[in-house]
Amino acid sequence: MLGYVSWRDVLKKLTLAVTMQRPVSSLPLSPGMKLKLVGAGFQSTADLILLKPLQLSKETGLSQQEALEVLQAVRKDGGGGEGSTSLTALELLQKEEETRSIITFSSQLDAALGGGLPVGKTTEICGAPGVGKTQLCLQLAVDVQVPQCFGGVGGQVIYIDTEGSFLLQRVIDVATAAVRHCSLLVEDDEQRAAMMTFTMETILSNIFLVRCHDYVELLAELHLLPDFLSDHPRTRLLVIDSVAFPFRRFDDLSQRTRLLQGLAQQLVAMATRHQVAVVITNQMTTRLQGNQSQLVPALGEGWGHAPTIRLLLQWAGSRRLASIFKSPGNVDATVQYRITSDGFRDADQSEQPQRKRPRTQTDQSASSQPDRRLLRCLSDV
Amino acid sequence: MATRILRRTGVSNEICERLKRREIESCKDLLSLTPVEVMNAAGLSYEKASVLLQSVSKAIAPPFTTALELWKQHSDSCFSTSLPALDKLLRGGLPRGTITEVTGPSGCGKTQMCLMLSVLATLPKSEGGLDSSVIYIDTESAFSAERLVEIARSRFPGYFSSKERVLQMAARVHLFRELTCQDVLNRLERLEEDIISTGAGLIILDSVASVVRKEFDTTLPGNLIHRSNLLSHEATTLKYLAHQFNIPVVLTNQITTHVGDQGSAVSAEVDSSFVTAALGNTWSHSVNTRLIVQYVDAHQRQILIAKSPVAPFAVLNYTIQKQGICIDVDTTRPRSVPVLG
Repeated sequence: MLGYVSWRDVLKKLTLAVTMQRPVSSLPLSPGMKLKLVGAGFQSTADLILLKPLQLSKETGLSQQEALEVLQAVRKDGGGGEGSTSLTALELLQKEEETRSIITFSSQLDAALGGGLPVGKTTEICGAPGVGKTQLCLQLAVDVQVPQCFGGVGGQVIYIDTEGSFLLQRVIDVATAAVRHCSLLVEDDEQRAAMMTFTMETILSNIFLVRCHDYVELLAELHLLPDFLSDHPRTRLLVIDSVAFPFRRFDDLSQRTRLLQGLAQQLVAMATRHQVAVVITNQMTTRLQGNQSQLVPALGEGWGHAPTIRLLLQWAGSRRLASIFKSPGNVDATVQYRITSDGFRDADQSEQPQRKRPRTQTDQSASSQPDRRLLRCLSDV
Repeated sequence: MATRILRRTGVSNEICERLKRREIESCKDLLSLTPVEVMNAAGLSYEKASVLLQSVSKAIAPPFTTALELWKQHSDSCFSTSLPALDKLLRGGLPRGTITEVTGPSGCGKTQMCLMLSVLATLPKSEGGLDSSVIYIDTESAFSAERLVEIARSRFPGYFSSKERVLQMAARVHLFRELTCQDVLNRLERLEEDIISTGAGLIILDSVASVVRKEFDTTLPGNLIHRSNLLSHEATTLKYLAHQFNIPVVLTNQITTHVGDQGSAVSAEVDSSFVTAALGNTWSHSVNTRLIVQYVDAHQRQILIAKSPVAPFAVLNYTIQKQGICIDVDTTRPRSVPVLG
């Protein structure tokens, strides 16, 4: 951070300087220091405001520590203690242990992600059409509401739908299955009480839905989200499904890149400041290399830098695989999953090839038994 | 909404004038700029520019609702296809407010399906219909009014016993013949007015692929991007209409043959070539539900649910008869078949 001062900081400091000018003698400092300051020609706080400790110590003859003390006194005085103070890695470690992750109900995927999707970070889900991106988003929208005594986050969710793929009937199925799953895990009174507030209706009422038809509406909505998040502090998940669709047909590609970068920055800021997990889905596009065509995530190379974690959902024959291909904290891994009538789940343990059949009675009974692995996963978080 | 003029959102005249000089007149123009550019263009401080962006955003951002409110409002959110097995898998029928695509080789029954759905839409709610008009955009001149009447008479003999009812039904199907891409696009742009004036409850576009494939030769450079842009434009317009009026949109598509190996939902039994829906990968993302129809042999055909937010992959056998599509109830095959979504 040495040497970097953003123009916004400068503006703020100048505004402060103009509004709050006090003589140096009124600062809470030792008389010796005040003497040196006045002797060097500093009359009021306004003179000191843009200075750095090294320069101040050279001009006045104060030691570096004393110079720092002077500047901190000035800043505190002006009432301008601005935003980002630094954290030590230790504090961050403690914070990260407390921060929960949002489980996906697929214990293998949760294990590969180190507990689930992290709150406070952005995750991108890309994949071919029909592979299950929206299904995973709907599952997360329900999972984020799992009460804390069951290992969940107990939060609300904002769902921005740009494609019209949010189907209420499916959400109801997933929500009902989650309620059923948790009610089978109830062991004590606290959990019993929590189940009173974890019903299908309350789950639906905690999903804030908005439908954006083009990129302008999406950008407008994002401008208004920080206020919405402040008004609804229980929000722990923001889903944008998908970010690619409104940006697919753009004549001016450089403008598109610029807008996407701005969007990415806003999302990262929202994720950290309001402690929400941001999940965005992306589509795939065909890239032609000579004679070969390859499916790659859409929106360009630059976009790949924005999300912290990137998940790729893909087909391998008739199996569905989820691969983590960017994650600072986890090893790149691939797990198999499936989509059942209850939502996003682990694939069968057996190695049989997936047989395609419509939902039958046996599927229903299998998923209604309490999943011991998930129970262990929940209690580890 | 994005093209809303700034002046009408409550922005002061003075700022509007300043922005107009830089050719920023609509909300879309303003929101496409970064905050620093807004400061420059409007001559405002950072705080004031943020406030301006906030107020303009408020003017055009769509409102929030909760899933619970949605549940309370839309008691009937599906359009029943009158094929009970299909309706059961789709949890009620074709979902309203979304795009359903029916794709398959020629002669397999896509247009038959569209005609059948047209008849259904005009039926009263007591018979399982939408009691509304149908907008049928035909690009292949495949629409046959006689076949429409035949399906109506054979499928619902009780209801269509009198001639007036048949004529009434026929009067509610509004046919638009568009033969080029630009015509289709223009029609879609103006469709809002047609929907309101006719009271339409179903939009059918038969077919999306034929005009596009006629006009765009994708082996020529640049054409692929143009075609993608056109299709994205069509998809966006159709989704907007579907959502705003809460009606289902049904499209038909063709198939294309790929030679090569690509993993997908259904394993290929034919060794190295397989068929997929035409119009590419981007288009596949744009449709919400995809039904594939295909031949099994000379008489038997199948419907495959290849992409659906609510339904699993499933295969239903059907035949085409006088009354349209008839599902063979007892022979639903569980095995995968060599057509990919």
